[in-house]
Amino acid sequence: MKENVFIIHRSEIIRKGLALILQEYFKMEITQLNSAKDLSSFAGISNSTTILILEAGVEQNTKAIEQLQKNNDVFLVGFFSETINESAGVQYDYHLTQYSSAIQIQKLIQVIRQAGSKQKNHLLENGELTSREKDVIKLIALGLANKEIADKLFISIHTVISHRKNITEKLGIKSISGLTVYAIMNNLLDIQDINPEELI
Amino acid sequence: MELFSQEDKMSSLISRNYTLLPVINRFGIRLGFKEKTIAEVCRENDINTDFFLAIVNTYTDENYFPEAELLSFSPVLLIDYLKNTHRYYIEYVLPKIEQLLNQVLLSCKDNCSSLKMISTFYQKYKAELLLHLQLEDEKVFPYIIDLYKHKKLNTNGSSIEVIENEHTNVEVKLSDLKSLIIRHMPPNYDDNTMNEFLTALFQFENDLNDHARIEDHILITQVLEFEKELRK
Repeated sequence: MKENVFIIHRSEIIRKGLALILQEYFKMEITQLNSAKDLSSFAGISNSTTILILEAGVEQNTKAIEQLQKNNDVFLVGFFSETINESAGVQYDYHLTQYSSAIQIQKLIQVIRQAGSKQKNHLLENGELTSREKDVIKLIALGLANKEIADKLFISIHTVISHRKNITEKLGIKSISGLTVYAIMNNLLDIQDINPEELI
Repeated sequence: MELFSQEDKMSSLISRNYTLLPVINRFGIRLGFKEKTIAEVCRENDINTDFFLAIVNTYTDENYFPEAELLSFSPVLLIDYLKNTHRYYIEYVLPKIEQLLNQVLLSCKDNCSSLKMISTFYQKYKAELLLHLQLEDEKVFPYIIDLYKHKKLNTNGSSIEVIENEHTNVEVKLSDLKSLIIRHMPPNYDDNTMNEFLTALFQFENDLNDHARIEDHILITQVLEFEKELRK
C-alpha cells in the first residue's frame, strides 16, 4: 500500500529537522505543512497508509483528519514540545517530543509500518502464462468477446474473466491491442490471422 | 516536500522541481528571475498568483487537491493554460518521441518484427491520444466557455460529466507500451537510443498524469459546482 507522511507544525526548524531525521533512515516522501488548515487540500487521498505527525496542543483540522480516516489507514502522531499532555481533544496513537532521539523517531516509524502491513501480500507465481491462459489470450487477440471465448473453450464467462485478470497481472498489459502485440511477439498468433489496422 | 507559496523565490521553484520548466513556459514565464519572488514574477506577467500556485503545487505533489476557496479564478483562465499544454504535446513532445522511436528502429539490424509491432502500437496510441485532445479542444472547452458566458445550462440537459470522458483508455495504452518494451520484447536495438526513447515516455507519462489531475481535480470539479448552482 502507498504511504503518505505529513509533518504539520508551525516551526520550520522542527518540520525540516524531523524530515531530515526520517529521510536519513527511510526512503519516504514527506509533505510538510505549516498550518493544519492546509491538510484539507489533501483530504482526497485514499487507499494509503497515512502517517500524520501533528503539532500537539494546537487546534487540529479534525474535518480533514476524519475524511482521511474514512479512506485510509491513518496513524496520528502527536508532537509535543516538552511533556506529553493528553488533555487535548485529539487522541494520538503515538507520541513524540522535541527531545525524542533520532533512534526513537525511527523506531516509531518501524512500529507503524509493521502495524500497517498486517494485510496479506499475495504473491504471484513465476509470471509464466498457463496453457489455458495462452488459449484465452489468443482468442482475445482475434477480437472475440468474453462470451465467445467462453463458448469456444467450453468454460464459463466467469472463468474467462478470471483468466483475463490473471493475464493482465502477470504481463502488466491491459488493453486488447497491447495483448495482441504480446501474442504476436511470442508467436501465439500469426500476424496474418488478424487485421492489424483494426486491432493494433 | 513543502508547498510553494507566493513569497518563495521563483528560482527556488525550479531548483526544487525542474520538471516545472515547461509548466512555467506555458504561462509565458521565462528564465532569468534574479531574486524575484513568485508573486512578483506573476504580477509582472499579469498572471493570477493563486492560479499559478494551484497549478505548480498540483504538479509537484500528486496528493495535493486545492481547496474550493483557492479556486477563485475563472475556468476560462485554466482553459487557456490547458490549451497551451495540448499545443506543447502536439507540436513538441509527440514529434520528439516519434523521432526517438524512429532512431530506435534504425538501430535494429535484424529480426525487427517485434520492434515494428511496437511502432504500430505507438501509432495507435498516438491516434487515440490526439483524438482525446481534439475532443477536449473542440467540444469540452467550448462547452465550458459557453456555460460561463451565458450562465445557462444546455437545453438538452448535457453536462460536463457526459462530455468529458475519462482519461483511462489512453493512460492504459501508454503503460502497456512501456510494459511491452521493458518486459516482453527481445532487445534488438541500440541500448542508448532505446533508453532515450523510454526516458521520454516516462517523462511524458508523468506530465500527462499531472495534466489529467489538473483537468479532473480543478477544472471539472469547478464546472460541476457551477452546473449545480445553475440547476437550482
